[in-house]
Amino acid sequence: MTGLGDRILGLGLLILAIAYGWAAQQWPEPFGGAETVGPETFPTILAVVLAAGSLYLMLKPDPDAQWPLGKTALELVIAVVILVVYAVLMEPLGFVIATTFAVSLLSWRMGAGLRPAFLTGLVSAVAVYVLFNFGLSLSLPAGLLEVH
Amino acid sequence: METIGFLMQGFAVALTPENLMFALFGAFVGTLIGCLPGLGPANGVAILIPLAFTLGLSPETAMILLTAVYAGAMYGGRISSILLNIPGDEPAMMTCLDGYPMARSGRAADALAISAVASFAGGLIGTLGLILLAPVLARFALTFGPAEYFALFLLAFATLGGITGKNPMKTVIAAALGIMVSTVGIDISTGTQRYTFGVLELYEGIDFILAIVGLFAISELLFFIEHKAGGGRDRVLVGKLTLTLKELVSTIPTQLRGGVLGFIAGVLPGAGASLGSFISYTLEKQVVGKKGKFGEGDIRGVVAPEAGNNGASSGALVPMLTLGVPGSGTTAVLLAMLISLNITPGPLMFTQNADLVWGVIAALLVGNLLLLVLNIPMIGIFVRLLSVPPMYLLPIVTMVAFVGIYSISNSAFDLYFMVAFGVAGYFLRKLEIPLVPIILGLLLGPEMEKNLSHAMVLSDGDWSILWASPLAMGLWIFAGLGLALPYLVGPLLRRRMREAIKESPVSD
Repeated sequence: MTGLGDRILGLGLLILAIAYGWAAQQWPEPFGGAETVGPETFPTILAVVLAAGSLYLMLKPDPDAQWPLGKTALELVIAVVILVVYAVLMEPLGFVIATTFAVSLLSWRMGAGLRPAFLTGLVSAVAVYVLFNFGLSLSLPAGLLEVH
Repeated sequence: METIGFLMQGFAVALTPENLMFALFGAFVGTLIGCLPGLGPANGVAILIPLAFTLGLSPETAMILLTAVYAGAMYGGRISSILLNIPGDEPAMMTCLDGYPMARSGRAADALAISAVASFAGGLIGTLGLILLAPVLARFALTFGPAEYFALFLLAFATLGGITGKNPMKTVIAAALGIMVSTVGIDISTGTQRYTFGVLELYEGIDFILAIVGLFAISELLFFIEHKAGGGRDRVLVGKLTLTLKELVSTIPTQLRGGVLGFIAGVLPGAGASLGSFISYTLEKQVVGKKGKFGEGDIRGVVAPEAGNNGASSGALVPMLTLGVPGSGTTAVLLAMLISLNITPGPLMFTQNADLVWGVIAALLVGNLLLLVLNIPMIGIFVRLLSVPPMYLLPIVTMVAFVGIYSISNSAFDLYFMVAFGVAGYFLRKLEIPLVPIILGLLLGPEMEKNLSHAMVLSDGDWSILWASPLAMGLWIFAGLGLALPYLVGPLLRRRMREAIKESPVSD
């Protein structure tokens, strides 16, 4: 079936629109009585617009895009995992170590050799850290490298 | 002639050493952003916003920096068009047609120089147009009531896809999604918690800056990984400048025509810089007729689109500054900066923040001059940077985005959100849902709701006030046309643009 991507998206958006619109109806009436435009009016309009749009998508979907499969999809997942781990480790490990890892791994996965990738990570991490902490006096987390 | 007085005041702001320095820095970085692969102008400006914050710049300086980047990106786009036949950004597409043949016949240096001059002319004409038109439009916009603003926002969304846009329904969906995200948080007028799910970080709403940076920067990284486009390009030799003064003078009419047409395309909703350069190029071809050698390296074929796209980029600032309604992705990002500086965009800005508005306009004039100076003698540096492989560049850009977002709030929570927006942005782009309406929705959503409720208070609950005045009615009609036209003339225009590109003999 062609247009499967758009149909799935349309279904997802329809569910979102219904949930979003339904949630808007549950809010208590604001203090001072209801007015024509309450907190729920605008979200309700949006839910209707989105629902209409998603129905259109399901009925008249565009041709499908080429989705990455196999190895490419795996590379994408790896990249997202690197980014999430980078965000998690930024504070405990400190900026320099976390950044060296994240930038090196990303550029290695994008096709750079191991050595140049590591050097890119290390140099950019140290340069940005020095620039921010000493040049602009904004503190990035030092983490493990903190001097007590 | 109070405009001249304001402009002088603006120059006084723009020419302070600090602002001049940031304008120069912005112009340089902007050109870099324009010519580097994988860094569009909207993306580049977005990444710089958090940095402008953490540097603690004054509103004037921050806006001058970002407008200089914006102007610079328009200059930078042409470099890879001419040397590699790959447009650095979308509006630079038409520059490939004659720029690349010129480079192949050994006149790369000439093409780069003349296109820098044309960019300057276009930028200058566009800025002059902005100076003349903006105060008039701002005065007119003072007559708008809440109902008119509501209709104007609808018009902005409806025309955002542009006449050449593919599926207007997807623009509508994108806009709705963006506005929905903007409703998260505590409602300003009643204090009701909306969609916060009891999460403390959501009470203040979702910061649109992290959404913008995530949507653009992170999704771009994922696209590069998917297309395995990490490798670099070969160094290109530019050669010697052989451009004669006579040749330069002979292109002046072309520069004027291109700049004016581009400016008009930039001001009009739904046209934008890409259409500006396309119209300029096509018209130039018609005017010159058979005498020209378009597609084989005619110098006017480089001048026209470059003047056009730079004129359009200044023109696009007119609706952004006067109405608070941007017409393109990059101007939307500039609007994000204004809103986060706590400046209410719109006609009142011209009276309440005159220093800022005129400072930015004066900085555009100064910036164009700086860019011309930067782009002719220092072109070698930019050309060398063109061969930096994305596999080193994009991870560093991503890291800078992380640093910027982290330095705003010092919380890792925002970083998770940014990554989430990036992944969402990747899927939406794959499904051809445009990102710019989402951003515009995030920015304009609260304003739209405010105007809607004001209008309702004024009319005592009568919905028909939204289209009661002739002006509001006109805006509704144009908004409707904006959604309908892409179905009617869109396929035709798109085919024309494709054919124009196919005609050129060097599309191999």
